[in-house]
Amino acid sequence: MGNCPFSSRRGFLGATGGLLAASALTGRAAAQVAELAEGNPAASAVAGSISSDGKVPFHGVHQAGIDTPQQTHVLFASFDLVTDKVSDIVRLLRDWTEAATRMTAGQTAETLTADPSIPPADSGEALGLGPRRLTLTFGFGPGLFEKDGKDRYGLKARRPAALVDLPRFNGDQLDPGHTGGDLCVQACADDSTVAFHAIRQLARMAAPNDAANGYGGKKAGAANPYDAKPGVAVLRWIQAGFLPDSPPGETPRNLLGFKDGTQNPGSPYPAERAQGKLIGNGSFADAVWVGGEGPDWMRNGSYLVVRRIRIALQHWDNVELDFQEQVIGRKKLSGAPLTGGGEFAPLDLDATDKDGNLVIDDNAHVRLGAASSNGGARILRRSYSYNDGLAMIAERWPPWRQGLEDEAGLLFIAYQRDPRTGFIKIFEKMSKLDLLNQFTTHIGSGIFACPCGIGKDEFVGQKLFQAI
Amino acid sequence: MKIRYTLISFASAVSLSFAFLPYGARAQNTPGFLSSIHHHTTLTSTVPDNGDQNPYAIAVAPISAGKVRQGDVLVDNFNDKNNLQGLGTTIIDYDPSAKTTKLFAAIPRHLAQCPGGVGLTTAMTMLKSGWVIVGSLPSNDGTTATKGQGCLIVLDSQGQVAGTITGPNLNGPWGNMAVADNGDTATLFVSNTGFGVGPATDDSPVVNKASVVRLTLSIPEGKPPAVTNQTVVADGFGEQADKGVFIIGPTGLALGRDGVLYISDAVGNRIAAIPDALTRTTSAGTGKDVTKNGLLQRPLALVMAPDGHLLTTNGLNGEVVEIDPATGKQLYAQWIDVDKAQTPPGSGDLFGIAMTSSGDGFYYVEDDVNTLVLAH
Repeated sequence: MGNCPFSSRRGFLGATGGLLAASALTGRAAAQVAELAEGNPAASAVAGSISSDGKVPFHGVHQAGIDTPQQTHVLFASFDLVTDKVSDIVRLLRDWTEAATRMTAGQTAETLTADPSIPPADSGEALGLGPRRLTLTFGFGPGLFEKDGKDRYGLKARRPAALVDLPRFNGDQLDPGHTGGDLCVQACADDSTVAFHAIRQLARMAAPNDAANGYGGKKAGAANPYDAKPGVAVLRWIQAGFLPDSPPGETPRNLLGFKDGTQNPGSPYPAERAQGKLIGNGSFADAVWVGGEGPDWMRNGSYLVVRRIRIALQHWDNVELDFQEQVIGRKKLSGAPLTGGGEFAPLDLDATDKDGNLVIDDNAHVRLGAASSNGGARILRRSYSYNDGLAMIAERWPPWRQGLEDEAGLLFIAYQRDPRTGFIKIFEKMSKLDLLNQFTTHIGSGIFACPCGIGKDEFVGQKLFQAI
Repeated sequence: MKIRYTLISFASAVSLSFAFLPYGARAQNTPGFLSSIHHHTTLTSTVPDNGDQNPYAIAVAPISAGKVRQGDVLVDNFNDKNNLQGLGTTIIDYDPSAKTTKLFAAIPRHLAQCPGGVGLTTAMTMLKSGWVIVGSLPSNDGTTATKGQGCLIVLDSQGQVAGTITGPNLNGPWGNMAVADNGDTATLFVSNTGFGVGPATDDSPVVNKASVVRLTLSIPEGKPPAVTNQTVVADGFGEQADKGVFIIGPTGLALGRDGVLYISDAVGNRIAAIPDALTRTTSAGTGKDVTKNGLLQRPLALVMAPDGHLLTTNGLNGEVVEIDPATGKQLYAQWIDVDKAQTPPGSGDLFGIAMTSSGDGFYYVEDDVNTLVLAH
């Protein structure tokens, strides 16, 4: 579906806006899309390229996992910093960089030893699986710079202006257990075990070493495995997500059953016609990568907004097809705009029916997500579906059904050059007016600054910490 | 603007009585009020900065005072930001001429004089003296299991709490008020849906204890209204706890020029008439049937159009129904909310309704998308 802040796997191919519309491509689709995206930075960026053995290089101008064709699984992890020393954070980031370099190459997080007297250096569940296009994308939350009014690490003055606290949006029902965080890691891979394994190792390296208490922890690189340490960061929340392994060239569908991600920055196709003008999807340079306006450590980086969006699937499934299509603004089966053409035809936001009514409704999801409806705002949507089983849910719309329902929906992930002119600008209006709001509830949230790519001898975010 | 189509369905008979037409010229040219309504314009989101949801009451300012300009539309919210019913505390003010929306009042969640807390209901009015009176039927968890007795809250024209009205005749003041306002005195009719209602279950019993009380107010210059008399003018209406919509009970009140009070009896699916409502000293029970069933599908808020016809919003579909109270005939139903996210379309979306100052249209709220809409 286009234009949603839920996004599509077309990733750099670009989707047509909206929260529900997602990003990059499966491995099989990747090559085809790479051809289509000729001339797009994503096709040539080192971090976004894919080697024949399934490795996505960890080092590059940009962090991998942003313009990388979207893998089929994600494990998104948010951490709270528990140390009071910035040197601990630097050490952790060095450790994480080293481990990420190894794991994205299909290796264990650390070198395995044969010493039977210590816990294994790697939990081992991904042994033999290979890299499976694993990417690990790191981000810094507002809490790294300032927390509860305290400048814990001397970084407050270096907080980028664009790393704002997200405002409260209409309808937000955010669960603190799925919101916020001082650090984040987005692990994406074409195998769920590989993604899970990566986060498991990184979390272990950051966590308190409570081996001295008999709980069997180990701090990375610690000479004495029984030397208890207070730890640097602890997991705050985790969310797993998945995409269908759609056939090559097919835009994957989200849990609404609509194609999600037909348009995104970098798409070679036009996005929409509005007020008589045909406009495109914008480029990564315009919409995704931070430029000279940002601090040096953020240039070629990007800002990540994550939202855990529950979808009332039982409600949605009993809604007439034509209304589903009016809500989204696209045809369900083909993905084409209601204004005609194929899936990749531009939305015609001017089109009216014989009675003069807009064909794509005022409150349709794709219209509210369109750049022309938001002063040109564009974001890269790189979202995943999630399914966490059943939960007692009280729907927030008439007729206010209550009962055991799917705890499932969309792990919305968006990258942008500046969230103030990206997600916040788009969603401020969308949260109030989108017809889709009757089926969706935002129950988790986070914002993170994902620094620039990592050089061969650098660690994640090194430029941020150099001056202190 | 949401997806909308307009459907006017003719009721059983469209023969009109012109015996009760205060604005005869207009009505003589048009067979009823709804047939003159062709446009629906979304005016504003009703969600204030604190995130309150579920707009209920609508009151049109009769005068300019304090923060309010004559013709402004006040809308209160029954739910809080987590969409829990009975926890909303805010009133917004929409200025139709400037097309701007601002917060009028953010009432503290707990007032010492208001048993159970604050959750603003469809009972709201602004008097010619500038005072705003709003009802509260509070809950602590969004259900009737923690329902409090509630109260009426008196606000000054700056939106500040100036007092409360409580008493044994008030328990869950719920429906839109009918008002006879003389400036320094006023008479309010308030429906109560809290008496004897317990937690909601899948099979909550109907309790026939809902009442309508008449409050006579004295309003000295510069001082808040004081209640000088309370009389229960109707009682015995059905009321029912509900897991989805919190409570079902008499929700609409409208005062005819002949002193007849009309009440929408949601559980009974009827409109009732209470004669001599301004003067009677005893309860008329559940009154006389004006009309029942037919196009009515759980009638909620009630308002009188300039031609003397009653308009009521349906709770179980997106229709507003026009009734000629003189004959009891249901004239039209216009499907003003066709949101197919509900079945039937618009079910549960409508609630409050109020005439525009000029009487050429009406305001209504859409609870599904938290908006104020003008029908004109």
